[in-house]
Amino acid sequence: MLRRDLLGATGAALTLAALPAAAQTPFELAVIGFQMSSETHARAANAAAAAAKEKGWNVTLLNSEGSLPKHAEQFAALIQRKPGAIVVCMGKPTEADAQFEAAAKAGIPVITIMSGSSPHALFDIAVNEYQVGAQAALWLLGRMNYRGGLLTTRFEGNTATRIRGKVLDAVLSENQAVTVVGSHAMARTASWQDDVRAGMQALLLRNRGRFQGVWASFDGQAYVIDDLLQAQDFKKGQVPIISVDGGKETYRRIADPDSTLMATVAVPFEEMGRRAAAAVEAIVQRKQPRDSITTGPYLLLDAELVDQGNVQRFLTP
Amino acid sequence: MSGVLARFGTAFAGLLVLLFFAAFAENFASFGNLAIVLKETAFLAILAIGFALALTTAELDLSIADVASLAAVATGALIQGGAAPAVAVLVGLGVGLGAGVLNGLTVTVLKVPSLIATLGMAAMAKGLGFMITQGVAFVGRWPREFTGLGRGSLFGVSNLIWWMAAIGFLAWLLLKWTRTGLHMVATGEADEAARLAGIRTGRMKRLGLALAGLLAGVTAVLLAASLSSATPNMAADHFLYAIAAVLLGMTMIEPGRPNIPGTLLAAFMLKALGNGLVLLGAPYYAQDIALGAIIIGSVALSATVMRRAAFTKKLNFRTAG
Repeated sequence: MLRRDLLGATGAALTLAALPAAAQTPFELAVIGFQMSSETHARAANAAAAAAKEKGWNVTLLNSEGSLPKHAEQFAALIQRKPGAIVVCMGKPTEADAQFEAAAKAGIPVITIMSGSSPHALFDIAVNEYQVGAQAALWLLGRMNYRGGLLTTRFEGNTATRIRGKVLDAVLSENQAVTVVGSHAMARTASWQDDVRAGMQALLLRNRGRFQGVWASFDGQAYVIDDLLQAQDFKKGQVPIISVDGGKETYRRIADPDSTLMATVAVPFEEMGRRAAAAVEAIVQRKQPRDSITTGPYLLLDAELVDQGNVQRFLTP
Repeated sequence: MSGVLARFGTAFAGLLVLLFFAAFAENFASFGNLAIVLKETAFLAILAIGFALALTTAELDLSIADVASLAAVATGALIQGGAAPAVAVLVGLGVGLGAGVLNGLTVTVLKVPSLIATLGMAAMAKGLGFMITQGVAFVGRWPREFTGLGRGSLFGVSNLIWWMAAIGFLAWLLLKWTRTGLHMVATGEADEAARLAGIRTGRMKRLGLALAGLLAGVTAVLLAASLSSATPNMAADHFLYAIAAVLLGMTMIEPGRPNIPGTLLAAFMLKALGNGLVLLGAPYYAQDIALGAIIIGSVALSATVMRRAAFTKKLNFRTAG
């Protein structure tokens, strides 16, 4: 009898002791990557998720698979789940405006990464694409001694790559000894590697001997062109290629004596993810004012030009 | 008992999954969340109904998603250019219907198998979509008269749900209660016998494919209105799910035959699954795996019935053995 009472009392005490812990569920961060099969989207989203886990938070990581309807749908479902905050990587605030607005109404703070601004989000973490475009253009023209023919491959379907292309045009308008002898505009997003391969192969053949530099709007395009040039026995430095994004494969190629890829402007995608989680912690958990992080609609991070001079620093983990 | 299991086995399995979500995923069973799921079901359901109508005549329309994307782009281009919303909507519907009519003529006049004809149409639609947009989305703050088609509501119920209900009802009415619908079914199940019985099977096939195109156009207009944007691949995500909804729908209500109530239920189940997994906090890759497993499991439940059905025998959907 006494034993049963003791057991009962112990059980009740344990239950009472456990109650506050059970009631205090961990903070939850939801992260949506617009297209997780794209390396840059995945890098930012995974970094945000990893930073949140390090803080002991629960994380819901979603992939919109590059589909606008799915993006909006996942956003709507997340609002029902009521996470502590949402981080959207490379999202579409204009298209998903209704969902962004619904999140704001539900009191769920949203931070975006490389998505563009939204009146319903706290801010967008990005790099200054105009600066990035200028860095890439001026490095390439410098390598070409500000003269000669240039091949470009563009992507107008993305705001960042489009801005980089426009900045290149502005730089070229002031440096008219460099002329664009051929340009390929990548339009197809689903099979873009094939599109770039086919388009650039034709341009390379048609303009052989007439170009002294190649500009690509992002690293994925540069890999394809690099492979084409290597197959045609071009040597490193013979025709310098520059692009933008950065990442392990890009740094490996820049360091590789056989690769024709010479430089990139490294966009700090991992840092963006970490900064998003840190901003959520500061604003939502520590109740710091949003303006203590940034006063405008953007939190701009620095992008660094990487070439053979500093690539070793990026290769070491 | 086995008849009930055959007709409603998949629906019961779906119900069990929904009950699981209701028990373990917070807010899943709330009115607000179910309204969201129903709303999101609309795009998939309308596209799938089109596919089901073509399949009823034993023709596959693999172009529905790309035609829907092209129609959305055409609509979006006009709205962005300041055209009247009514004109843009009519053009969007016209693009869908036109593609469907062309598919029908290619299949019945040029005698190209629908699998090939509609794949060709899908490629052309995709190319045209990129040609019009150059890969850049049409996006902006579009007029409310247009966006209201997708974002508005009537009597507190989202317009998307009304559109889905109306189209589902009309399609069901067509197939079950009209002579034309009976002829479409007869064409699908035994076209030679139907032809000998005096049914104009070519016309039925053209009608099925034209309606599939028209409903792709409707989906396009509603997608563009809901998202205030139009991109050349915006409906691509719905393609496999629309086919899955129709095939899953064929395992219930009228087993072995494309049917509208089954398609609607299946579309709702697919969307509810996605929503439930998000609410459970499942990572994205687990969602895809679970979704695939549940689809296979549900269809496996009724596989015996599918094997026996005349329609599936004709389409060679039979499983081995």
